[in-house]
Amino acid sequence: MTAVREAVARAEPKPPARTGQVKAAARWVRRAPLLPALIFTIVVTQLPFVATLVISLMRWNSLDPTNRGFAGVDNYTAVFTDPDLRSAIGTTVLLTVTVVFVSLVLGLVLALLLDRKFAGRGLVRTMLIAPFLVVPVAAALLWKHALYNPEYGLLNGVLTWLFGADAPQPEWISGMPLIAVEASLVWQWTPFMMLILLAGLQSRPQDAVEAARIDGATAWQVFRYLTLPHLRQYLELGALLGSIYIVQNFDAVFTITSGGLGTANLPYTIYQTFYQAHDYGQASAAGVVVVVGSIVIATFALRVVSSLLREEVRG
Amino acid sequence: MNRRVSRGIAEGVTVVIAAVVAFPLYWMVLTALKPDAEVISTDPRPWTLAPTLDSFVRALTVQSFGRYLLNSIVVAVAVVLLSLLISFLAATALTRFRFRSRTTLLIMLLVVQMVPVEALTIPLFFLMQSVRDVAPVFGLNHLGSLVLVHLAFSLPFAIWMLRGFVAAVPVELEEAATLDGASRSRFLWSVLFPLVAPGLVATSVLSFIHAWNDFLFAKTFIISAAENQTLPLALQVFVKPDQNDWGAIMAGSTLMTIPVLVFFILVQRRLVAGLAGAVKS
Repeated sequence: MTAVREAVARAEPKPPARTGQVKAAARWVRRAPLLPALIFTIVVTQLPFVATLVISLMRWNSLDPTNRGFAGVDNYTAVFTDPDLRSAIGTTVLLTVTVVFVSLVLGLVLALLLDRKFAGRGLVRTMLIAPFLVVPVAAALLWKHALYNPEYGLLNGVLTWLFGADAPQPEWISGMPLIAVEASLVWQWTPFMMLILLAGLQSRPQDAVEAARIDGATAWQVFRYLTLPHLRQYLELGALLGSIYIVQNFDAVFTITSGGLGTANLPYTIYQTFYQAHDYGQASAAGVVVVVGSIVIATFALRVVSSLLREEVRG
Repeated sequence: MNRRVSRGIAEGVTVVIAAVVAFPLYWMVLTALKPDAEVISTDPRPWTLAPTLDSFVRALTVQSFGRYLLNSIVVAVAVVLLSLLISFLAATALTRFRFRSRTTLLIMLLVVQMVPVEALTIPLFFLMQSVRDVAPVFGLNHLGSLVLVHLAFSLPFAIWMLRGFVAAVPVELEEAATLDGASRSRFLWSVLFPLVAPGLVATSVLSFIHAWNDFLFAKTFIISAAENQTLPLALQVFVKPDQNDWGAIMAGSTLMTIPVLVFFILVQRRLVAGLAGAVKS
């Protein structure tokens, strides 16, 4: 790993010593290969966001096409006063925080367990990663029908097998809908966290660990004072990427509970407002609220990025 | 001695956890192979004595699953090829060339990724509606619209990840190539491209999975053209209010998972290195 990093450090081009002015044309030639990517992503992801902002300030319901116009902040007021939308905000936060936190902790434990050589490690690793590779909709269907089904689902089957015929047979989805959705998401996202943290563990400088061991540090001390600080960046990256994806989760909520029983998160509610209520203005306002909420995440992200870049400068 | 015991316990625990984690997947494949009567038995067994491919046959023949499979493949392959080309150029520019606001552009790429999809579905819907009037293939109800959005959403991560791979190619190589009279584009395609191929493979797998898994855009863009739907939507076809065909659902899920699993196993080592590179480079 160190060798790789040295190679990377060497590969970083030195700023060419330039004197005088550089022609603007030459500068644009350097940027040219980047432009397709940049222009394209901006057109498809940034311009629509501006459109969302505009629509969110409009009174626009396609079931009532004549009554279209400027609405000011009415849609936003609606978002924050409508009990459905308000609870959707709460659900989204709860869902995201729970799933990210639990899968990070589990991912860390698994990464630590896997970060040692033993017979069959490759197979075990593949088994642990597999849930991440299942198509999300398929995973949601799998959990809903094959695992949670109260009559022939695996979970209740295991309970019967363990405790006999009079074992409790809970209705998983109607009894604990949000936890049911969260469990399926944790199952899918723990491998992702594990992968990132495993990459972090493998880039940990081994000599410091050896030195600490020789000095008589316990396994816990090594973990607490060497491993964990080293993993901080990776933990942040995992939390960041995980939050971005889970805030947006639509598949699991749509499939497992159809947004019922208090599990409707913002993406699902926006989908409903748009495609069933046809209230474009209000749906857009809810979208903007999501973005503002995500700015918290983005700020966090920028901190990670800038710390990465500092690292890069230091080489 | 004590240490060996604790290691043994840790390994044992790892294997048990792996078994528990992977069991739902085993269950998925098993359900797909079980005959119908056993699937909804109230006494589920972790094996079957009469495996059958009936569910797979139903999944593939009923509801033109094959057509959806083809659609999914077309979208995913188009996204992979385009994102390979564009992200390779972008990553090279970002690592090899120095220009003003390089860091800003890099961060911008990441910020692009931050805007949640749900804030964009509505205007993207209208965008695709307008695109349909100009170029029907890339508009609403056509596969092209899916290619466009998935490409946009997979590019930032692809570029970010490829950077590490491009940076790992020694800069001396470029100098040597230039001395030997290779032009910049010659260097790019004949030297750099093959050298970062492992990174390109790892990156394409992520782009592929991204496009392959999508449900939200497929559901919102392909609204009235059943022949252009993709696999995740097709799965929902077997879900009916009163009588679901579990066997076929699980068979379909299994079929959908296989390509991802195969790709991943092929590149898993490089993927871990790529993630490490994305963080550390």
